[in-house]
Amino acid sequence: MRCLLYVSCWLICAACSSSYKKLQRTEADPLCISAFRPAFSRALYHAQVNVTGKHLSGLLIIKAMPDSSIRMVFSSEAGFKFFDFEFDRTGFKVHYIYSQMNKKAVIKTLRKDFELLLMQHLNVPRSYTLKSDGNYYHVFPDGRDYYYYITDSTCTNLLRMERGSRKKRVVEAIMHPGNDGMPDTIGIKHHNFNFDIGLKRLRDDTER
Amino acid sequence: MHKFVLTGMLWITAIAAEAQYPGYALLQNASSFQAQFAAASQKTNTVKSDFVQEKTRSLLAEKIVSKGKFWFKKENAVRMEYTQPFQYLMIINGSNVYIKDNQKENKISTKSNKLFRQINTIMIDCVNGKALQSSDFKVRIFEGKTTFMAELSPVNKNLKTLFSNINMVIEKKDYAVSRIEMHEPSGDGTSIHFVNRQFNIPLADALFAVR
Repeated sequence: MRCLLYVSCWLICAACSSSYKKLQRTEADPLCISAFRPAFSRALYHAQVNVTGKHLSGLLIIKAMPDSSIRMVFSSEAGFKFFDFEFDRTGFKVHYIYSQMNKKAVIKTLRKDFELLLMQHLNVPRSYTLKSDGNYYHVFPDGRDYYYYITDSTCTNLLRMERGSRKKRVVEAIMHPGNDGMPDTIGIKHHNFNFDIGLKRLRDDTER
Repeated sequence: MHKFVLTGMLWITAIAAEAQYPGYALLQNASSFQAQFAAASQKTNTVKSDFVQEKTRSLLAEKIVSKGKFWFKKENAVRMEYTQPFQYLMIINGSNVYIKDNQKENKISTKSNKLFRQINTIMIDCVNGKALQSSDFKVRIFEGKTTFMAELSPVNKNLKTLFSNINMVIEKKDYAVSRIEMHEPSGDGTSIHFVNRQFNIPLADALFAVR
């Protein structure tokens, strides 16, 4: 029985990690996924981060600014600030990052992870849709990165989001919507190294 | 002439300080305050309190308010238990730090992490009053109607990147610290306001155990 469970888990994992090359092109509007774009006004999340065996927790605030940019500030529960990022339609800006995190690879990884969630790449010119087993993969290439938004065939449910190359998945993310257009929970998992982020929305005094 | 210039400079400093902290005036001679504060700190062996923490994000025009319970035991043990809007426990006991969030427990020895050690020392020293004697800070004392404010400006480069200054609000009636404000160079800050304080009640060592 235990062996069966092990094999099942292995098969599921193997299926998950398979490349995108078996997917078939299909006629569908990839922009249907814009309906799932999170509409952040102000949301506070309790964040859990596991990176290469180390654990970190803190508070992430996501806020839409008057100029329509999105700010993300991550700090420890006790108040120590780790980073302050700004995302807008045309770019990305680091307002602050704690010196020990101030590495090009760290910033690039976080930037791409959050851009996947914010659906920042929907306006790229060469978007298309692939399908497999009833799931539709809406693809938005940006340079060497491919952003995949996986829905059911009618594009009524966003199943998950992925970033990778044309062939291989690198990051997987899920988002459970709240009743105000902002996600209640967010999960990000990297498949090329041990790094995952979990966000759970908090309702603090500002939102009550 | 020199006396005139000096008086003028002191006057300008006092005006600037008053503008910086409305309701407070710079104490030119803080020795009496220092003596009273040191005596009160000497007598305080334990503190039990509730706290309200406010994180201000200036550019976002945002405040994050969290609440919890606080314990201090001489010489250097602090327990902070956040209860709203999240659960988070931090125990500082000497050079050891224990952190427990929703998912995991973490034990950190600050001996191997200079930054953590500095923050740990500041936290403890602000509570037990030793921060006013620390060589890491330039200290100015301001007097208000019911409270004093100790302004601690970091003198070393590492601390300057973290804090522009740390202010401690001290009650005149008992010389106890009722608020700690940590101001960051970016304009952001964190203040911890202690309420329902009880002093010198028995606190079990188990509260501060880092297992």
